Amino acid sequence: MNIVVCVKQVPDTESPRKLKSDDNTLDRAAADGVINELDEYAIEEALLLKEAHGGEVTVLTMGPDKATDSIRKALAMGADKAVHLVDDALAGSDALGTSYAIQQVLGRTGFDLVILGAESTDARTGMLAAMLAERLGVPQLSLANKVEIDGSSITVQRITDYGYDKVEASLPAVVSVVEKINEPRYPSFKGIMAAKKKPVEKLGVADAGIDADKVGLAGAATEVVDFADAPPREKGQIVTDEGDGGAKIAEFLASKKFV
Amino acid sequence: MLEWSDEDLMIRDAIRGWIDAEVRPHLDALDSGELPPYDLIRNLFRTFGMDEMARSSFKKRAAGEGSGRSDGSGGSGGNPSMSILPIVELCKVSPGLVTAMGVSLGLAAGTIMKRGTPEQRERWALDLLTFDKVGAWAITEPGSGSDAFGGMRATARKVGDEYVINGSKTFITNGPHADTIVFYCKLDDGRDPRDREILTFVLDRGMPGLEQSRPLRKMGLHSSPTGELFLTDVRAGADRLLTGGGGDGKASAKQNFVTERAGVAAMALGVIEECLRLSVDYAKTRVLWDKPIGDYQLIQLKLAKMEVARLNVQNLVFRHIEMQRAGRTPTLAEASAMKLYAAQAAAEVAGEAVQLFGGNGYMSEFRVEQLARDAKSFQIYAGTDEIQITHIARDLLSR
Repeated sequence: MNIVVCVKQVPDTESPRKLKSDDNTLDRAAADGVINELDEYAIEEALLLKEAHGGEVTVLTMGPDKATDSIRKALAMGADKAVHLVDDALAGSDALGTSYAIQQVLGRTGFDLVILGAESTDARTGMLAAMLAERLGVPQLSLANKVEIDGSSITVQRITDYGYDKVEASLPAVVSVVEKINEPRYPSFKGIMAAKKKPVEKLGVADAGIDADKVGLAGAATEVVDFADAPPREKGQIVTDEGDGGAKIAEFLASKKFV
Repeated sequence: MLEWSDEDLMIRDAIRGWIDAEVRPHLDALDSGELPPYDLIRNLFRTFGMDEMARSSFKKRAAGEGSGRSDGSGGSGGNPSMSILPIVELCKVSPGLVTAMGVSLGLAAGTIMKRGTPEQRERWALDLLTFDKVGAWAITEPGSGSDAFGGMRATARKVGDEYVINGSKTFITNGPHADTIVFYCKLDDGRDPRDREILTFVLDRGMPGLEQSRPLRKMGLHSSPTGELFLTDVRAGADRLLTGGGGDGKASAKQNFVTERAGVAAMALGVIEECLRLSVDYAKTRVLWDKPIGDYQLIQLKLAKMEVARLNVQNLVFRHIEMQRAGRTPTLAEASAMKLYAAQAAAEVAGEAVQLFGGNGYMSEFRVEQLARDAKSFQIYAGTDEIQITHIARDLLSR
């Protein structure tokens, strides 16, 4: 089975993140890059599926040069090879442009299954899986916390507010995963040593047959028009229990629509 | 080597992630001695495939010897950083855990690999190298520390085809829990005790006459159980005697001192890096008289000295890695010099970190007091500072 995992390098959530004042896009140079957390679960699921059904796992990343670090980590975890789509023309792409670019690369690599994290911790649009499935003309199975493959059919448990839906489709397909699906492995020392010998194909926009007008900041259909720092956290409210503490807390939660 | 390579940093980050998830939540239990370190070490081995690597390297070496292709050195040919980085990172939180691991692998398994027959290695060393079993290395006795061999009183007497061993050992790392014990004693052949040959046996937990004590109470390093061994007429066949590697037990033990002492430099680096990181954070955030304490020169002096120590010890560690890559082993005097400097630096840095934190430094919650207690052991075990000085000076004066 040919499994492609889409991996995005995002700014480390533990370091302060900021937008650039000139074009309102994320300042990727300002923070250390790490693999988007949910994508680690996607990598793990791809490796588990490969271990169970055989095949090959390819990591696909679109991002600047320094995204190589994330690719190496995915390869160290056990992925077989990687494709790195890297081109200045891609900088500032929105979800629509990104899904188009990735579609073009997937046209070259082929795939039975595309797995990705349900959203990234930077933009958090959570739209890529749906857009990609639509562009590729294959089923989308979203928010999966369990994936099973039987021949050419795939079944996932899709988490919902009330539990889960069991969703079945035929392969090829696109699956987005949530963090409940598995526990991502640490790269083994042997895996880390092997990673540097695994093939990483670097592609530019032209190599992948991408129309440069449809990607990047200029080709984006959406624009961040303004941004502001998050307001400082408001002071908490202390409820003094004078026999009616429980009622006061319930009242507060109800006013915030938590209950 | 000027810096850790990208591959090294990936190893370091992976280990850090594992430590945060698996070790930090248990630091209190480890430091009280309530939690022995062995399950965590096994978890480390499984998680990073260190057990599989050890197994495959062991088999390769055995196969190489069978076909006459091995030089017998047992070198893994891998990246030396791969064994150094876990030591550095783990020592930031639990130098005792590293001590327990290092004694089992480096000293117990290391001795059997160097001096054992292929059958003895298969029987005892493989399970130690994969950490399926825990090893101890027993030299020190109640009456002999620095004068380990001269003052050694444990004896083996030949009776028929067997040896009958008697004596007691103390300060034995992993002693209370060890499955496999490399045991040094003197052949009782009627000669003057000081002239007797040193023999090295491999003993198994549960052998009749072998008693392993409960952990001893100590100043620090609580995550490394230390104990006593009592042997009363323990009968060991010749199959338990390690005779290879050239020289007697004394010569081979000295080779272990080199490994052990060089390893302490990596341990010291971990303690120093962690104390420095915690101290810098604290100096920036702790405010006194309306200023962060880092603005005061007395605090700056402490930080600057810690950084000098970090750079120096890191350079020693990098040099040692380069030597390993070049297939060289430090001399005993070089290893002693590394250990002496690194151990003193770690103890001083950790002590100064406690001072910099003031009252908070004396509280366990702020972590530096544990590192200060643990680092003190670096100046005592694997040869005291004073013994290192002797070895360095003796080498200089003999040139």
